[in-house]
Amino acid sequence: MASYFVDKKGFLAFLKGVIKKYPLYGTVERDGFPVFKKIEEPEELVLSAKPTHLSPKEFLFPPRELLLRFNLEDGKAEPVVEAREQVIMGLHPCDIHAIGLLDRVFSHGRGDVNYLERRKKTILIGTECLPDEFCFCQSLGTMDADEGFDLFFHELKRGYLVRVGTEKGRRLLKRYTKPEKAAKKHLEEVKAHREKKLKGFTRCLDARKEELPLVYAGSYEHPLWERIGSICYGCGSCNHVCPTCYCFDVRDDVTLDLKEARRYRVWDGCTLEDFAKVAGGHNFRKDRSERLRHRFNRKFRYLADRFDGLFCVGCGRCSRACLVGINITDVTNELIKDAKS
Amino acid sequence: MQRADAHPYMPQPVRLERVERLTEKESLFVFPRPQGFGFTPGQFIMVGLAGYGEAPISISSPPSEKDMVELCIRRVGSLTTILHKLRAGDTIWIRGPFGRGFPTERMHGKDILFIAGGIGLVPLRSLIKEVLAEREDYGRLTLLYGVKSPKEILFEEELELWQKAGVDVRLTIDRAYPGWKGNVGVVTTLIPQVDIDEDNSVCCIVGPPVMYKYVILSLGNRSVRGEDIYLSLERKMKCGMGKCGHCQINSIYTCEEGPVFTLQEIRHLPEAI
Repeated sequence: MASYFVDKKGFLAFLKGVIKKYPLYGTVERDGFPVFKKIEEPEELVLSAKPTHLSPKEFLFPPRELLLRFNLEDGKAEPVVEAREQVIMGLHPCDIHAIGLLDRVFSHGRGDVNYLERRKKTILIGTECLPDEFCFCQSLGTMDADEGFDLFFHELKRGYLVRVGTEKGRRLLKRYTKPEKAAKKHLEEVKAHREKKLKGFTRCLDARKEELPLVYAGSYEHPLWERIGSICYGCGSCNHVCPTCYCFDVRDDVTLDLKEARRYRVWDGCTLEDFAKVAGGHNFRKDRSERLRHRFNRKFRYLADRFDGLFCVGCGRCSRACLVGINITDVTNELIKDAKS
Repeated sequence: MQRADAHPYMPQPVRLERVERLTEKESLFVFPRPQGFGFTPGQFIMVGLAGYGEAPISISSPPSEKDMVELCIRRVGSLTTILHKLRAGDTIWIRGPFGRGFPTERMHGKDILFIAGGIGLVPLRSLIKEVLAEREDYGRLTLLYGVKSPKEILFEEELELWQKAGVDVRLTIDRAYPGWKGNVGVVTTLIPQVDIDEDNSVCCIVGPPVMYKYVILSLGNRSVRGEDIYLSLERKMKCGMGKCGHCQINSIYTCEEGPVFTLQEIRHLPEAI
């Protein structure tokens, strides 16, 4: 994989060029935290080392996405694919791994054309980060991203080291900058940052990631589920912020002039009360403890076989967002401890 | 990455040929079988109306019925309430079929015990009619059918036809009812009354969630093996393609791996039954 050096001037020129050609979504500082938003001016963008509270999944899997239109006057229907070209910038390695998992999900079996088209038209640009008190990606092998992005920017003292992930990324970089070959000192600066990052973690999982499916398989009747279920609000915040939660509902509505009906999908969450409730009223997961257990098992066990990878990338967002302080590392470590004893 | 050839959510319109009221809550919706619409008994389709959404519905007619497709639908939710207002000539939108149905080829030469509770008879009707279309390929056929009251018996005339075609049809109602002379009690009370050759039988069970546990216990008492017991499980479904997450039972997706499973396949899943 080729690495280049781009100075700060070159970086701004790159942003300027990208903004002119594509809608660019990147991170800005708001209330002291980075958030993703549409970038209008190069100066707005702040490549933040801090994690975002919301994941970037919304740019590939929008919270509400139109699938079909029905013309109620002539009775005809047409499929809708909203995808258009875009660039997402400021993705941390965990986010890049998460997008890789969503790619597997939506290309599984009968491919999901809405997601896949959007994905094809999206350029992903990563950036380096530092852990906060919730991050634990070093335990899940998602601390580094070697693939799954088009470009990856490492901020240096005097500019950026840019790793190229795809030909599309290389073309984009070369279109707007004159990158130099990265020098040894640049690579050493990247390495030093990685050391610093590794030292910054305050949380980790007490088992290897390969052991986690078995740990969860053996913890189905663990009393912890009742305990955290009794404090869980069932609010769905964990589903909402998770970069790999992709469950959705499909709904219809009708325009006010009654001329058109629209079928669209909206994010849904397995911790919400009605998620597994069928018409007639039977709820297959009626207790919050059952629903939490389901969510945790999806992350560490259920989807692992189906898609060949754990569905937790260690971003800590669910713990960060939880209103009652349920922490995914505490939960998992308690199960690990009891599984080992 | 794989590309989808056509939009996976695009349904096709079908015009209802006939809508027949069966009971207070169930009606039969009949439409001409679209070209290339192949399915196996036990599979389902997504049935929708513009502006009202979609719901998974089992196909009630057999694949051997080439001209028409029949859906027996209970009025239970918002979409099905609107469906029940439709008449012949109206259009519904369908997608599918989806999922895995009953493997009839694995039942060849064997006795089949069908056990239905309530509208569980709907997907089983597809299987029973398919089996009767090739009657000589199978051994003894028995249907145990339980409903709450005689008013809820579905396909009553067909039950008589099946009886004449060689199916041992046995009915039961949950509670005594004026004029009812047959068996009273839940469907499991019929199981000890039938002769089961456990080495050469398969059981196909469809009913409400509460029924499975007791039926399986009773069949276990009769030494029927897990791999010879087929069940169809109901779950909420929104996509039909293993993505939306609603139909998940522990690690499996009902819409893809099911809705028909052998007991063997789901025995280890605590959420299944």
